[in-house]
Amino acid sequence: MRGISKRFPGVRALDDVSLDANAGEVHFLLGQNGAGKSTLMRILCGAHHPDAGEILLNGAPVRLTSPADARHLGVAVIFQEFSLVPYLDLAQNIFLGREPRGVLPGTIDHRRMHAEARRLLDTLGVDLDTRTPAHELGVAHQQVVEIAKALSQNARILVMDEPTAALSDHEIDRLFARIRALRADGVAIIYISHRLQEIAAIGDRVTVLRDGRNVASFANAGNFANPENLANLVRLMVGRQVETTYRQKFCEQPGEIVLDVRDVDADNGVHGASLTVRAGEVVGLAGLVGAGRSELARAIFGADRVVSGTVSMNGTPLGRGPVSAVRAGVGLVPESRKTEGLALNRSVADNVLVAGMRKVFPSGWYCARAAAHVASDIVSRLKIATPSVGRLTRFLSGGNQQKVVIGKWFAAGSRFFIFDEPTRGIDVGAKAEIYGVIDTLVAGGAAVLMISSELPEMVAVCDRAYVMRDKRIVGDLGRADLSEANILRLAMHHE
Amino acid sequence: MNSPPEGGHYVRAVPGAAYLLAILIVVFAIFGSGFATVANVLNIGVQSSVLLLLALPMTLIIMSEGLDLSMSAVLSLAGVVLAWMLMNEHGLPAALAAAVGVGLAFGVANGILVVALGLPPFVATLGTLGVAQGLALVLTGGQSVVGIGDVLPAVYDSRPLGLPFSIWIALAAFLVFRFTLSKTRFGAYVSAIGGNREALVLAGVRANLHHLAVYALGGAMAGLAALLLTGRMSAGHPTAAIGMEFDAVAAVIVGGTSFERGKGRLGGTLIGVLTIGVVKNGLNVLAISSSLQVASIGVLVIVALVIDSMLQAVGARRRGRTLPA
Repeated sequence: MRGISKRFPGVRALDDVSLDANAGEVHFLLGQNGAGKSTLMRILCGAHHPDAGEILLNGAPVRLTSPADARHLGVAVIFQEFSLVPYLDLAQNIFLGREPRGVLPGTIDHRRMHAEARRLLDTLGVDLDTRTPAHELGVAHQQVVEIAKALSQNARILVMDEPTAALSDHEIDRLFARIRALRADGVAIIYISHRLQEIAAIGDRVTVLRDGRNVASFANAGNFANPENLANLVRLMVGRQVETTYRQKFCEQPGEIVLDVRDVDADNGVHGASLTVRAGEVVGLAGLVGAGRSELARAIFGADRVVSGTVSMNGTPLGRGPVSAVRAGVGLVPESRKTEGLALNRSVADNVLVAGMRKVFPSGWYCARAAAHVASDIVSRLKIATPSVGRLTRFLSGGNQQKVVIGKWFAAGSRFFIFDEPTRGIDVGAKAEIYGVIDTLVAGGAAVLMISSELPEMVAVCDRAYVMRDKRIVGDLGRADLSEANILRLAMHHE
Repeated sequence: MNSPPEGGHYVRAVPGAAYLLAILIVVFAIFGSGFATVANVLNIGVQSSVLLLLALPMTLIIMSEGLDLSMSAVLSLAGVVLAWMLMNEHGLPAALAAAVGVGLAFGVANGILVVALGLPPFVATLGTLGVAQGLALVLTGGQSVVGIGDVLPAVYDSRPLGLPFSIWIALAAFLVFRFTLSKTRFGAYVSAIGGNREALVLAGVRANLHHLAVYALGGAMAGLAALLLTGRMSAGHPTAAIGMEFDAVAAVIVGGTSFERGKGRLGGTLIGVLTIGVVKNGLNVLAISSSLQVASIGVLVIVALVIDSMLQAVGARRRGRTLPA
């Protein structure tokens, strides 16, 4: 792949990226969340089309207009998001679209399909009935089926996007044995993983992406058995030291504990989580995608059920469900602002007031004038750029929409705010304003828990941070230790 | 791992409707004199056969996370066309071809609206329901088409091997659908369209084509059902099948097919159709007014779903985690 560029609305996902894979080698592709790895791989498998650049196969340029093209050219991908069909059995899932043909036209030779599926699963050392429907499998087994599906295509280029994320050590050993066998057979393997110790185990070459660009390539992956070299690699993934800080001043004297989470297990998988947030603090919740940050936030907010442990606000345990969280003063600014945070076809005033109806109209009677008054007050406090409070929110810019979501919790009188990826998809200027809002909130004695995948933002905005991995809190970094490298070190498996 | 014989693999949960059907049969047999007779059982089979022809393709459509409300109106229209062709002495084969053709045309139209234009199936097929119903009324001026000759009535009244003709057709359709769903690529893709369309596209399958075919099949089956409906009435009536889409959807749901994730079973649909047939017939035998029958089918759907969700909760607890929705 040469000089690949790809833009999505508002972001440059890939900028002149090149990547090559030779037959018979395992090429590691590394980078932070959002570095462009997944986009690059989706282009390679024909699901996205590049804006610029070309793809060459055996030296000849090829055009990939659909996943079917890529498949015919011998590209197979193990996707990070599972691509299984829940009510088809394992064999049907493995051979989806490539079923062995039966005698009658259009029919499937089930006997052969199941026998081949059985053989594939045996080589992976998995004892699963090929007639089990996919929805009955746990995550690890789904992963195995994904791998079997890709292997069954006899691909010449095999892309593996975090194939070991859900596997046990035994299964990983079997997978690596398969990978070595494929490599010996001359298959080119592109391997994406956050488990850096895997580089030395099976890697041949390494390419690092950052912010959609190539930043480094290494020919000898064996060197990364050395921890010092690994540390360098992490630095490359993180990139430049961030000079700018976004906060005016950090919190020196935190107040009382506002939120106290103790040993929380939730039914969404969060396990043994404990954390505290004090008045006046911005506390970060860091980790890679899928580490369980949003799940913990949902558990705190009561959107997912807490199985054991307690969540207390100002010393009082919260009851079940979001209603009691909101009444206790918790405000959630969710990750997907357009679907979870706003009613896009309602006015700014309607959106701002939706969570605070009980506060603003305790009697239950709606008064338009009072509503407009409260809404205008919030609009001016947050400096939301809108011609009037009657403007539909879908006409506002991303940054102003985000302020409307925040404003909603002003009206509800929240004192503790959870921000989930508050600056995703909004431009740099609006970002600074959102940081300004966060600053004002904590200066006024509120407490903030912020989730972000952007490490520079995490370092620049938070007073402290917790780091999550595999649905657990694995570390707690004070202001002095809060750096991108330290977060990554905890968030990845490489000790 | 030893694999059990073909077809009868892993233990499938029995749909809640099966229990319901058994209870209903026992209750009606005890309290309704004349319910448990051979004649009446065959009668239930005959009454259920038209519904089964609609409910089979409806199962596939619902498995693909879709819906076809137009089926009954298309059935009425196809019945009118069939009767008109017979009245004008075009012969039964041509008349049947015309009826199936009309159905197929509406099915393809539904498919284009849903798949190519991306309309929600509810809205798209509500629209074609209106069009088909309106056409049936305009073509007939609201009157029945009578004088269809004696070929169709003779075929309809025939009893090969002692079983009524319509039961043979329904049985054949059931077997063909079962074979299609379990043994063909198309069958696997129907489940994939509802369960994880993205996976199907990434597997390089022309998902749109198969998706459209599901709706086309629904239309064609409505055309075929017109043969039985017109045969039963010896006439084409423009509003003969009104409300039957409700029964068809009810039968599919009662049979344990889900509107989400491509879960479906044709055996369940058969049980659902029979359950509805038994309820209607049993209430007739007990001389309960037909208005109450509609309400009773509504209750039936709800009871079957409650039983199913209770069975599922038990199963899920035993199994542990499932795929994320």
